[in-house]
Amino acid sequence: MRGSRLYDLRLYLAVLAISSFLAGCTTSASGRYFGLTKPPSNNILRYITGSEPESLDPQFVTGQPEARIMMALYDGLVEYHPKTMEPIPAIAESWEINSDGTEYLFHLRRNAKFSNGDPITAKDFVYSFRRGLSPDLAARNANLAYYLKYAEAYNSASAFVKNPDGSFVQKNAGAVAETKDTDSFGADSEFHRFIDAPERLTVPSDEKGRSKLTDKDPKLKALLENKEFVPVRAEDVGIEAVDDYTIRLKLYQPAPFFLGLLPHQFFRVVHQASIEKFGKAWTKPENIVTSGAFKVARHRPYDVLNVVKDPNYWDAASVKLAGIDFYPLDEQTTMLNLYKAGKVDATYNHTIPAAWNDTVKQFTTEYSLHPEAAVDYYSLSVKKPPMDDVKVRRAFALAIDREALALFQRTKKPLVDFTPEGIFPKYEEARQKIYTELLTAQGSSMAEWKARIFDAEKARKLLGEAGFPVQQAGSGWSCPSFPVEKVSITYNTSESNQRIAEFIQAQWKQNLGITLPLKNMEFKTFLPYRSAVEYDGVVRNGWVGDYMDPFTFLNLFYSKTNDGATGWWDPKFDKMLDDANKEVDEMKRYEMLARAEFFVMQQQIIIPLATAGTSWVKKPYIKGMYPNPGTLHPWKFVYLEPDESKWTQSMDDIMKESDPVMNAQLEQLTATQEAMKKAKAAAKTAE
Amino acid sequence: MLSFILRRLLIIIPMALLVVTVTWALIRIAPGNFYSTERKLPPAVEENIKKKYGLDKPWYEQYGIMMLNIVRLDFGDSLRYPGQTVNEIIARHLPYSATIGFFAYLLALVVGLSAGIIAALKQNSLWDYGSMALAMLGLSVPNFVLGPILVLFFALGLYLVPPSRWGGVSNIILPVITLSAIYAAYIARLTRAGMLEVMRSDYIRTARAKGLDEKTVLLKHALRGGIVPVVSFTGPALAGLLAGTVVVEKVFAIPGLGNIFIQSVLNRDEPLILGIVAFLSIIIMIFNLAVDISYGFLDPRIRYE
Repeated sequence: MRGSRLYDLRLYLAVLAISSFLAGCTTSASGRYFGLTKPPSNNILRYITGSEPESLDPQFVTGQPEARIMMALYDGLVEYHPKTMEPIPAIAESWEINSDGTEYLFHLRRNAKFSNGDPITAKDFVYSFRRGLSPDLAARNANLAYYLKYAEAYNSASAFVKNPDGSFVQKNAGAVAETKDTDSFGADSEFHRFIDAPERLTVPSDEKGRSKLTDKDPKLKALLENKEFVPVRAEDVGIEAVDDYTIRLKLYQPAPFFLGLLPHQFFRVVHQASIEKFGKAWTKPENIVTSGAFKVARHRPYDVLNVVKDPNYWDAASVKLAGIDFYPLDEQTTMLNLYKAGKVDATYNHTIPAAWNDTVKQFTTEYSLHPEAAVDYYSLSVKKPPMDDVKVRRAFALAIDREALALFQRTKKPLVDFTPEGIFPKYEEARQKIYTELLTAQGSSMAEWKARIFDAEKARKLLGEAGFPVQQAGSGWSCPSFPVEKVSITYNTSESNQRIAEFIQAQWKQNLGITLPLKNMEFKTFLPYRSAVEYDGVVRNGWVGDYMDPFTFLNLFYSKTNDGATGWWDPKFDKMLDDANKEVDEMKRYEMLARAEFFVMQQQIIIPLATAGTSWVKKPYIKGMYPNPGTLHPWKFVYLEPDESKWTQSMDDIMKESDPVMNAQLEQLTATQEAMKKAKAAAKTAE
Repeated sequence: MLSFILRRLLIIIPMALLVVTVTWALIRIAPGNFYSTERKLPPAVEENIKKKYGLDKPWYEQYGIMMLNIVRLDFGDSLRYPGQTVNEIIARHLPYSATIGFFAYLLALVVGLSAGIIAALKQNSLWDYGSMALAMLGLSVPNFVLGPILVLFFALGLYLVPPSRWGGVSNIILPVITLSAIYAAYIARLTRAGMLEVMRSDYIRTARAKGLDEKTVLLKHALRGGIVPVVSFTGPALAGLLAGTVVVEKVFAIPGLGNIFIQSVLNRDEPLILGIVAFLSIIIMIFNLAVDISYGFLDPRIRYE
């Protein structure tokens, strides 16, 4: 008995030893790839997209996890380019923009269909846009469409002001209207005459909202006496179905980035009949009608969303995947476990846990680290002392070694301006030129500007000038007069936020002799606290671009209700941005935007820290999936390559890679728009 | 007996409503709201949202509306997942947790009871020390450590079972083991202590004196009394297990109720939080009642008034 028990134990130990040996083998023997690497035989991609989608309603959802799912289920006028995220034709096969950039004309293809076979026409887009803006839907992304004329007025339930004679009060009544001869496209229509007419004044439709305005503005009060208020309707918003296959958009003012905004899920087309029939239950798998390359097959919330290729999709011939399984997960370790075990094929961005980074990084055929259209920064409370002094703000900004921070974070690049580095090459070129010019005029130089990446000595000097002298204390520094009780570093609770906050706390202690307390808060508590600028001194912040234009970053400090969380606002800055957007010439516009960026950076209302990096993995057999700046993949380009010799060789070079399969697909897609451009150019030269 | 059960059942309703009220108040006191994201919303958009969800009404009115609905067992729609009712979400995710919880407890009972009985019978032997040492280990290794170790070894080393997610039988092996460890350990210790106490009692001596064989003494007389502590532990433990365990569900990405519950709190999804809290409190009270009733069957000395 005893002997056999011992034998059992030995057997067990042996099994244990063998299995751990095997475990070692499987990870090191196939060292070329990370874990099990075998393309799924059913041609279905298994992708981790982040938390459970809030809904499958493209106008309603706001997050990145949802955005990626919406890109599979819905098509828009335009789609993101798989590498650059520039807009490429989708349901609109071509488009024209008028010379001042306020009017867009989209020509739709005639073979676009919903998943139930219904044709997609201009009316469907008009419905989708109006739906997104309706106050009843209360979409959080509605402001993305505020560039459309009267969109904001409709969304905020405002009203036009009608004179007793039946005419409407204009917005700039009295002021000399800018008489600009703008060219228009397409057939003339009653709606077009209305929308093209000088802008009407809009005021809140309810008495309470109006009196709030008129109390502050007696002139307005007089103007509104004895007037009728006509609510702005969905039909007044600047989108028009000129005919079944032509859409006209009217903007308030030129917004050169607007086209780049249109691939956003908010502008993708939904099916009116099923939404009206099923109400809020329209997104249930048994009811949902979609417009994209894939349609819903099954949805098990918190587990999986299975989508399959939609044969009704207009471009179904070039959709290569049979389907996609979206796994809603947000535990990084769980994701990597699944990835390593060969149970998923790719993950979304920022998914490599810090502890795994060094290991995963070695698999250059799979790990992506590319710049993102996203920045990390700290906001400063510029209205409260001591941060109300620009010298103090600059000192704190200068006293962080950003190179060291980037090394510490592993996936980021140091940032000294506000727009991310390596995302907008043309803009960066313009910025270099303008900055050099402006700095020379100030008696400074580009080299000095670049030195803001870290300059402890200058930081101490500035702090001294601001009335807080920094003294040598042993081998370090001290700044006894600085009111540390008035400043703290606040961040929302998360391991990585804490690591960064501690790093920066240490930097300031080391370089300025100031030790600021750290304060962490639960996310939903933190958000209103930050946006109301209730924090003291310094707060964690970050921004992800919505479209591929530097304006998506600079816009953050635009208007009095801006989202910079600093308390800062300057109408001069707003004007600089407005003027830049009116500029038609691309480079000139970039230069004007660069001046605005210089202006705001001079104020140092924020401390730029880093440009984010993509940091995700995909199995080498996935092709047509690129580390673009938003990690948003147009799924119809993605395919699984069974032939190992054609697998991704290096993620570092993947953006330079030329894939004949994708090139052919892109060429075919963009041909219609290229033809339109050529025809326009020819017409221009003929003139 | 019947009036006892009836009394206890009736008390559940006001208790659950009280729990809901306190929870509601706590959610309302906490700053933040369900709709805020990293991005600040334009004031107009925020107004629309407030109007849509009735947040522009005074708090007592909102509370009244909510309570009226809850009394009708309608918790409304989730705020985070529009178009999905709270009842539907709970009904959908409960089976995942219940499956894992049920099997985990079953495993824990089998392992724990046998280890406990053996340890008690062979007190102070190698068996006793060995199983109690293992039980101590099971109690002290938290499941967020045990889970990943099992995953590392069996899923990522040997590729024997999937590392996480829901699916076939192979998917639930690791979570069930992980979850059962601590319960098995606890049950083993409770059983051992209970058995030891009973074995020394007079009625066991009487049973032996009657000349009953050891097997009958053990199974018919000693065990019934010995596992009373295990039964009282089972009530709340099973209620908690069936309703979901956050850590294990997170580690193994199981779409169970525990996972949903934590997310609902992080999302400030008020109706969903209230629904789950109400559900959990009712489940716990019912299980406790069941335990109280079962005492009577196990131990003839216990009577209900």
